[in-house]
Amino acid sequence: MIKPREEHTNETEAGERMSFIREITKNKYLYLLALPGLAFLIVFAYIPLSGHLIAFKKYRLADGLWGSKFVGFDNFKFFFMSADWYKVTFNTAFLNGLFLIFGLGIALILALFLNEIRHALFKKLAQSFIFMPYFISWLVVSMMAFAFLNTTDGMVNHTLEAYGAEKVNWYLKAEVWPAFLTLIYVWKFAGYYSIIFLAAITGISGEYYESARIDGATRFQQIIHITIPLIRSVVIVLGLLGVGRIFYGDFGMIYGIIGDNSALYSTTDVIDTYTYRALRVLSDFSKSSAVVLYQSVMGLITILIFNQIAKKIDKDSGLF
Amino acid sequence: MTNRVKEDKSLLERSFVIGIYAFVAIFALLCIIPFWLVVINSFATESSIKLNGMMLFPKEFTLYSYQFTLAGKQIMSSYLVTVIVTVAGTCLAILITSMYAYVLAHPKVKYRKILSFMTYFTMVFGAGLVGFYILVANTLGLKDTLWALILPYLLNPFFAFIMVSFFRTLPYEINEAATIDGANDLSIFFRIIIPISKPVIATVSLFYALQYWNDFYLALLFIDDYKLHPLQIMIRQIISNVNISAYVGGSNTNYSQAVPTYGVQLATVCLTIGPIIFLYPFIQKFFVKGITIGALKG
Repeated sequence: MIKPREEHTNETEAGERMSFIREITKNKYLYLLALPGLAFLIVFAYIPLSGHLIAFKKYRLADGLWGSKFVGFDNFKFFFMSADWYKVTFNTAFLNGLFLIFGLGIALILALFLNEIRHALFKKLAQSFIFMPYFISWLVVSMMAFAFLNTTDGMVNHTLEAYGAEKVNWYLKAEVWPAFLTLIYVWKFAGYYSIIFLAAITGISGEYYESARIDGATRFQQIIHITIPLIRSVVIVLGLLGVGRIFYGDFGMIYGIIGDNSALYSTTDVIDTYTYRALRVLSDFSKSSAVVLYQSVMGLITILIFNQIAKKIDKDSGLF
Repeated sequence: MTNRVKEDKSLLERSFVIGIYAFVAIFALLCIIPFWLVVINSFATESSIKLNGMMLFPKEFTLYSYQFTLAGKQIMSSYLVTVIVTVAGTCLAILITSMYAYVLAHPKVKYRKILSFMTYFTMVFGAGLVGFYILVANTLGLKDTLWALILPYLLNPFFAFIMVSFFRTLPYEINEAATIDGANDLSIFFRIIIPISKPVIATVSLFYALQYWNDFYLALLFIDDYKLHPLQIMIRQIISNVNISAYVGGSNTNYSQAVPTYGVQLATVCLTIGPIIFLYPFIQKFFVKGITIGALKG
């Protein structure tokens, strides 16, 4: 990461240590400022990395991390031999794929449309409303979903009943939940992503539109031929960064809405909820840890690959 | 002939614009209808909800749901927990994050790239649930303490990098001038940098506050004692709990009246999102700014 600076290349190891101490003492107050943050990272991000070792052990609380028996890849074998492996991996990637396509797609349309709206008050109100769902927790969202979907008193079933149709027990129908979750995701994050797109659109020089108008282009033509091509890289970059995180399920969302409803696991159980249950419900630290490590490694690989591609397209947004 | 084409075009143009307004209006309405439903039905009588379901305009109104919820002990203790965690967490987090980000952005610091990389690495390769759980629950022994709800979120790398990108825009001359005047780096940071960084501090603080207020993950993992349940877990409990009246009332209370199950759920949700909705008009612009910086600068 860090290239050794010219003047240090010929120095001995002792010299390096000296310069380290000199640097720390010279900027002691600055390093003091960084100390709490650094301590936090070490304690909460680096020390827990040792938890990955449990994936190779038969962990027992009494034996602790180091004392537990080493079992090699047994925990992984157990996971990969079961049907769970494919199910949770597929669900995670599939749901994230749906969220990404529809989330970014609808947000893009909203941003393009909001940009065309000249009525200032209407625009401001609409934006405020669309952004509002971003601010509430997944449990509140879950409560709202319940108000619409619950079997006996939900709005949807009351409407169905009013039109003479049968009530549906949505909380037992696993096949509809990918669609419901996508709707909920779009509802919650359309405002968030449209802010990013709108910022990109606002950055486009007005001259393009002026000359297009002089040439007689309609608003629709301006969107297709000016706005979309000019913000294409932002869309692609956001998409790539999303693909990079495709193996990370949104625990808060899935667990907040689905909870412990095992009737829906077949389509909604993602890696993150699976490991949570393995840990908290089954107290199977080793199994949970194996799945977590699997996810971390897959996640690392995809993030690095897709961030690299994103960086090629737009070097400013390459950091994440 | 040409006139005709022009007319067609302007008609098309007009219907396109109308279509745009309609689409945005409908989407915006769909976004707030769930809020409206929750708020308005928290004032509806239990019997009317049972009879007609949640309605956009309920026919019978009552304050009973709120009276029932507020009479119990749980809402007060949950509110207190959430407020303490949010206030203490946000203050500590913004202090640690801004100090850390300032050093990462400081050109005088030779090891800032190592520090940046150490921070970035945690974003791409996490410890995951198990190591984190063992650390907080066993190593640090924070189960059933408020610290378990505060400490794990003190430094968010994403927010730190937002602050780094802001501090980088500050002119280095500030530093030199202050150094000549005999100020050390600590007093430069606290006396000069903090006051001129108010906008970014406000923005990142609000992101932290929202995160603390809305989080249920940490409480789910580490809090079993109902006296320490934050509001979000209270909502979860009254959605899934069979014995709502005992939970809401605080362990030993026995209510003789009927429990307005929906009413209590909706009232608790409204009391939880109330402060956010109330502050929303004032804080919205900070979030818009933060998201824009975060997305463009990374």
